[in-house]
Parts: sequence; C-alpha cells; structure tokens
Amino acid sequence: MVIPAAAPPVAAPSSDPGPPAISIRNLRMRYGSRDVLHGVDLDVRRGEVLALLGPNGAGKSTTIEILEGFRRRSSGDVSVLGTDPEDAGDAWRARVGIVMQSWRDHARWRVQELVEHFSRYYPDPRDPQELLDAVGLSEQAGQECQQLSGGQRRRLDVALGIIGGPELLFLDEPTTGFDPEARRDFHTLVERLSTVEGMTVLLTTHDLAEAERLADRIAVLVGGRLIALGSPGQLAAEIQADAEVRWSEADERRHQRTKDPSRLVWDLHTRLGGPIPDLEVRRPTLEDTYLGMLRQEEA
Amino acid sequence: MISRQALVVGLHRGRIELRQTMRTPREYLGHLGNPAMFLFAASLQTGNISGSSVASSRMVIAGGVASLLLLVAMVWLPQQLATEREDGTLLRLRGTPGGMFAYLVAKTLMVITIAVLSTVLLLVGGAVLTDSGFPRSPGQWCTLLWVITLGLVALALTGAAIGAVLPNPRQALAWVMIPMFGLLFVSGIFFPVTSMPQWLQIIGQVFPLKWIAQGIRSALLPDSALVAETAQSWQHWETFGVLGAWTLLGLLLAPRLLLNSSRRESGSRLMARREVVGQRSY
Repeated sequence: MVIPAAAPPVAAPSSDPGPPAISIRNLRMRYGSRDVLHGVDLDVRRGEVLALLGPNGAGKSTTIEILEGFRRRSSGDVSVLGTDPEDAGDAWRARVGIVMQSWRDHARWRVQELVEHFSRYYPDPRDPQELLDAVGLSEQAGQECQQLSGGQRRRLDVALGIIGGPELLFLDEPTTGFDPEARRDFHTLVERLSTVEGMTVLLTTHDLAEAERLADRIAVLVGGRLIALGSPGQLAAEIQADAEVRWSEADERRHQRTKDPSRLVWDLHTRLGGPIPDLEVRRPTLEDTYLGMLRQEEA
Repeated sequence: MISRQALVVGLHRGRIELRQTMRTPREYLGHLGNPAMFLFAASLQTGNISGSSVASSRMVIAGGVASLLLLVAMVWLPQQLATEREDGTLLRLRGTPGGMFAYLVAKTLMVITIAVLSTVLLLVGGAVLTDSGFPRSPGQWCTLLWVITLGLVALALTGAAIGAVLPNPRQALAWVMIPMFGLLFVSGIFFPVTSMPQWLQIIGQVFPLKWIAQGIRSALLPDSALVAETAQSWQHWETFGVLGAWTLLGLLLAPRLLLNSSRRESGSRLMARREVVGQRSY
C-alpha cells in the first residue's frame, strides 16, 4: 500500500523548513463568561506531525476548529498556511484537509461515488481509485456509506480529507471508538502520509500512546493552557516524574521514590558497602510523565 | 466562491442525488404519491364550481399543482436542509472549495426536477382521468409557465429560509406541516375562496399560495370560472406583485440565514447533538 502522490513528489523538507504551517499567538476563546482557551502560543512546522494532547474538555477541538476556519476566535493571531482562516477563501480550502470527530454525512452515497464526486471540487486531485486502494476501501467501493463499519467510515473520511492533495491535514480525535487493529491500520496510514508525502498533520487526541506513536512533537493542552511542548523524549525529561528504586536490606523489601535514582543507588552502594540485593530501578514512562502533568495542573 | 467549476460540480451532485432518489422506493413513491393524492381528490368531484358550468375537478387539479409546488419547496426542501445540516453534509461542504455553492445548485436542480415531474404527472393524469386538461391557448401556456416559475422561486427561497432556522429534522415536520395545512385552508385551493369568511380570505392573500393557485387556474380554466374568484378577475398584475415581493424577501433572508446556520455548525456541536439523539433512541 503506497499513497499515490497527486503531483510529482516534492523535495524532502530541508534543514530550514521556512515559515511554519501554523502559527498561533495568544489565542483566546471565551464562550459567554467561560474561558476555554487562555492565551495559547504554538507553531506547527511544515512537514511535522504535531499531536495536541489533553483530557476531554481541554480545548483541543475548539483550537482545531478555529484553525479550520469553522469558529471565530475571541482574540489572538492565527495564521494557517500564511492566511487567517477566518477570511480564507476557496484557494486556501483546497490546500487544507479536514477530518472531523465523527461524520455520518452522505449516508446514502456509494463510497466510490462520493470520493469521485469530491475529487471534482479540487484543482489537482488524487486519483479516486488509487486513493480507495490506499485506504483499503476498494472492496467497499460499491457500498453505501451507511453500511461501513466505524473504522472503514473513518478511513473514508481520511480519503475525503486528502482527496484534494492538501499540504496540511487536520485530524480531530481520529481513532475514538476504534478496535486495536483498526487503530494500528490508521496509524500506519497517517505515518505514510507524513513520511512519504511530507504532509503537515495536526491531530488532537486524549490518548497518549497514540500521540507518542504518531507525533514528532506533542503539545499538552490542559484547561485551555499549553503546559508542555516537545518530542516525546523531551517531554519525559521536561517534567520528570519520580523514578522508583526497589531493593532488599536486612531481609526486608524497601522502595523509595526519587528525582535522581542514580544518586540514591550510589548512596545505597556506599551504605551497604557492595552490591545492592534485588536492585530495581523503574524509570518513569511518558504515561507517568503525562499523568504527573495532569496532577500538577489540577493541584 | 461562484465559479464555473462549482456550477458543474453542483450539477453533478444534483444528478447523483436524483439517481439516489430513483433507487430508493420510499422516496420516489413519496414524490409520486402527492400528485396521485390530488388526482384521486379530483376524481371524486362530480359537480360544477357553483354559479358556473366549469367542473369542480378542474379547480382541484389546478389547486393540486399549486400544492405540489408548496410541498416540494416548503416541506421537502426545509427538511432536507435541516437533515443535512445535522448529519454534517453542510459542514463538510463548508470545508470544501466551492462546496456551499455546489450544494445550492444541486438542491435547485432537485427542486425543479421534482416540481416539474409531479406537475406533468398531475396535469396528464387530470386530462386522462378527469375533465381537466391543458392550457387552451398560447397565452394560457405562457401564464402557466411564468406562474409556476415565479411561484416556485418564491416558495423555494422561503423554504430555504425556514430550513435554515428549523431546530432539527425530527421536529421539522411538525414545525412545517401545521402552518402548511392552515395555509392550504385559507388559500382557496380546493374550494372557492369566496365561500370563506372575509378575514380568512385576507390572511390568505398575504401568502404566495393563493396567488399561485389563482394564476394556475387562470391558465387551466375558462373565463366562465371567474364567478368564483374574489375579484371576479384573474388579477395577473397582483399575482406578479405578491410573488415578486416574496421572491425579494426570500432573496434578502435566505442566503443570510443559510450562511448563519452553517456557521453555527462545528464538529464538536454535531458530536454533542448526536449524543443527545443517541440517548433518545435508547
């Protein structure tokens, strides 16, 4: 399965990626008297996959809908592919692909019919047949959309999102309600879009494993604030959850949490004057880090 | 937004929607059922319009044509708009270059096709099964064409405005049908409007349906049927004036309301509403 390129393949992103695909400065959103976004700053580089990670209600969907031009922000500056999405026209729309949370539109259209129809809106579309092959829906081409399973429908939504050969793809909670196999297929598809085609992808998710698997960088959004941004490794280092050290001493199992496990192990060595019995050092996983961040925010 | 490409895509969209209607019996039978119903009502008529020698069935056929336009433009169309707003169709098209314009083109094509086909069915059926017939002169043919065209435009624009403000498709039928029956009643569709109280007649005159029905009668009935008309005249200028006014009003309101209603939608709102629908169905 190879995603066919709509146009001759572009050169791989150089070390200088140029202006960011998305630039957000001091973005605020207020519904009535409730603030949903409190001044978010974020750049998405061209060609990268950025995951906006956060618990439900953190403001992820609001952010992505502002970027898609579906929602008017309260204040702040937003530029998507060099244009303010609030006054973007058809030319901009043709460069942006959108996959929303859950779509059940065009229920009675046949899969092939729908993909072929939507290819007609774009100046330089992909080949509908090749695209159906690429997302694994060739066998369902003649079925009505309402007959598709959840995972198939989602792949159709992605096909419709990229039929115009966009430079930038928005994926809002793309794998909610997927079984593990559908999720893995979907991840493979997104990875291919990013690596083979250099498509910039902004996805929202509340699933850390998904963010870790797919994203070059993760932006953690909690309570309308961006509290961390970086590669999965950087994030783990940035807010270090305590490591746990376990050992045996005087026929007793001991354990201790510490920011600096190496230091503790050295102290133990010195104190016990030799090998430490039953030594175990458990480093925090990214999940521990993320949960730690959520706890810190709540506190 | 409005380009030749979007127009061509819109027509393609309209053709696919028509094809889907053709392969869904529930839908095409629904559209066929309307003219059949009016044809049946006309065939039950035996007498003449009071004070004339013109068969009552001819008035029912003429009223049926006006009602068919009303049904497609102000019941079917608003329901479609409300449904497709809720299922995300409008939102997807908003995120697609030229999508909204193509959508409007497709819906226009659908409305015209349904209106023309059901009107032809009713007229031909009326000619075969009842004493009704076709226009007798080029002048009457002209009248039939302009009344149906202007009437359909006025009704469809109003219907689009209604569809934009309907809360949701499940309530749409109730919201639309009850006033619709009232309108059918006060517009003198199936019995002479002169038999009704003065104040009801005045209410009927504000709305386009009375004028469409009267205009169609003027194209299908002989002048000897004028005894049953309010003004003892076909009032073509008045008809043109009222339908033109509704068209202008619709042109002012419909695009603005449609744009607002599609702006109101977003993925998370669709999601939230779907959860409500889901809960209801349990």
